Amino acid sequence: MNKELIRHLIKEINIMASKEIKIMEVCGTHTQMISKLGIRSVLSPNIKLLSGPGCPVCVTEEKYIDTAIEMLNNYDVTIATFGDLLRVKGTKNCLLDKKSRGKNVIIVHSPLDLINIAKDDKKRKIIFLGVGFETTAPIIALTIRTAFEKEINNLFFLTSIKLMSPILHYILKQPENQIQGLICPGHVASIKGASYFEFIAEDYNIPAAVCGFEALDILGGIHYLVKQIIDNENKSFKNLYKRCVRTQGNPIANHLIEEVFQISHGVWRGIGKVENSFLTIKKKYRNFDADNNFEVKIESQRHISKCACSDILLGNKTPRECELFDRVCNPFSPYGPCMVSTEGACAIAYKYWEEMYNG
Amino acid sequence: MGNSIKLTHGNGGKDTSILIKEIFQKHFNNNLLINSLDAAIFEVGQGKLAFTTDSFVVKPLFFSGGDIGKLAVCGTINDLVVSGAMPLYISCGFIIEEGFSIDLLENIVASMGEMCKETGVKIITGDTKVVEKGSVDGLFINTSGIGLIIKGYEQKPIKEGDKVIVTGGIGEHGTTIAIQRYEMKVKGYFKSDCMPLNKVIKKLGKYAIKIKLMKDPTRGGLATALNEIAEFSGMGIHLLEEQIPVKKEVISVNQLIGLDPLYLACEGRMILVVDQMECEKVLKEIRQCEECEDAAIIGSIVNSGTQSIVFMETFIGGKRIIGPLDGPMLPRIC
Repeated sequence: MNKELIRHLIKEINIMASKEIKIMEVCGTHTQMISKLGIRSVLSPNIKLLSGPGCPVCVTEEKYIDTAIEMLNNYDVTIATFGDLLRVKGTKNCLLDKKSRGKNVIIVHSPLDLINIAKDDKKRKIIFLGVGFETTAPIIALTIRTAFEKEINNLFFLTSIKLMSPILHYILKQPENQIQGLICPGHVASIKGASYFEFIAEDYNIPAAVCGFEALDILGGIHYLVKQIIDNENKSFKNLYKRCVRTQGNPIANHLIEEVFQISHGVWRGIGKVENSFLTIKKKYRNFDADNNFEVKIESQRHISKCACSDILLGNKTPRECELFDRVCNPFSPYGPCMVSTEGACAIAYKYWEEMYNG
Repeated sequence: MGNSIKLTHGNGGKDTSILIKEIFQKHFNNNLLINSLDAAIFEVGQGKLAFTTDSFVVKPLFFSGGDIGKLAVCGTINDLVVSGAMPLYISCGFIIEEGFSIDLLENIVASMGEMCKETGVKIITGDTKVVEKGSVDGLFINTSGIGLIIKGYEQKPIKEGDKVIVTGGIGEHGTTIAIQRYEMKVKGYFKSDCMPLNKVIKKLGKYAIKIKLMKDPTRGGLATALNEIAEFSGMGIHLLEEQIPVKKEVISVNQLIGLDPLYLACEGRMILVVDQMECEKVLKEIRQCEECEDAAIIGSIVNSGTQSIVFMETFIGGKRIIGPLDGPMLPRIC
């Protein structure tokens, strides 16, 4: 049944796509699924699917990993992290290198597990690496608040939490990329609510849809956007992921975010400073902020002029249009942010040999 | 003998002799081993022989579903099996770190002995070296094996339309090692697929003539092994994603750690390229073997022009290229 519907959607999208249409997705899981399912290979070449800054690890500065590694080197601490950060390289090393050389690095599925680990061994100082968007922010906030309430003083947080709406404003204000439609991230929307993305159609007259992550979700989203782009003068917004996303989102999660974090300016790897685009720990909880407790000195970032990541993240280029791609830049020796994590646009294009298959 | 390995256990003197008698000969017990001095002497029947060698450095030494000893015996047996041989004899060399626990050594040797008993393969010669603390990480094993090529089997040219079979779920060994290496706390039962494949080849004896090629997807996983087959044969391989057996829990864990089951080592699986007319019958036979219930036809050989491409058709009809393993995945997996 699904297969028939999928075939039907593909057919209709391809009939509608009589001219070039640029659609951007801003969630790493969408980027990955589009490549994994081979969606580009079943759609008309007129449909250009571009990958925005949807992978939080990719847009985190190298300095962040370097800071974590310096904390490991200079202090008797355990670094706790989600698995996907283990193999992300800083300027020189990744955390996995340090782990195999005997440093204390542990993987957790939820930072809440750390409450008990910290309680059981009060001498052990643990630093959790909190990287993510609005999606991961609530669980980190809950952990910080729980640690505060339980008066745990050996658990710390090195955070780099970014916000989706400021970066979308930043991208949509760039005229060069000519983005005509936006696939909104389903995970962020489940927290912030579908209404969080209404501004895309209202302020920029660009159609947008909140989508899930199955083949039918993504193709349904592309179908909706292409129809809007072709037919309608006034572009609209739609929540196509109602089974998980409510209009107003998750009030408990949002309350937690507000309780623990404040909005700050921040630097996005490959893009630069974006105003009001970060969540940082509020004064009330500053005892849990690793930056306040473990002082380290990090040298300034290297700058690679030929790297096209900023253009890729902003929708101006595709990975293969970068002259470093697969020549000197690959997932094992990444130059720019998009090649860093398994959800980065370049790393995905590299892995799935995208645009190489013509059969 | 004490509780831990000393340098004198590897000096060829009295301690070495005690170690050999009380640990190795006890578990590998067979006449060819016991009656040999510097080399084992044996007769072979008529026919072609296959000869292989492999070294094992897996970390951790003990994992769910096996240990370095079982892995070494199975690995060598399987290399012979995929070459079309019935495994006969194995040699093994141990390089042991000073201070290694004798109990753990005996556990490893015992599991090698058990594998030999189960498969009828004999370990008939061996060597032990002990190196100073810090020179190796615990224990490394090298094994070599000799097998007799089964009648009627030889590698044959692969042609368009031939089918590709895999004998069970992929990525289970690699995932199990990753879980233990990363100290992940996951629910569910994860077990390495490490097992000897000689039963499979015994079962397939009468179809030997219809099997064109066999390969075990160890390091680099299914994806890399298929790329090697494609390159070797100069043909393309068209895979059907929905047909590839992968356990749900393997998929989930790999999503968490950012690894791809297609590239993770299997230690008890085999890929077969089979004539399309016989592939269903061969599959039926394989599925009757223990732990091979999930065997499946996962794709076919296609003519892909000058390039030997492996590509995957997804369930929506999309296509993507499956390249060989490129760069580091998970070191010391076997």
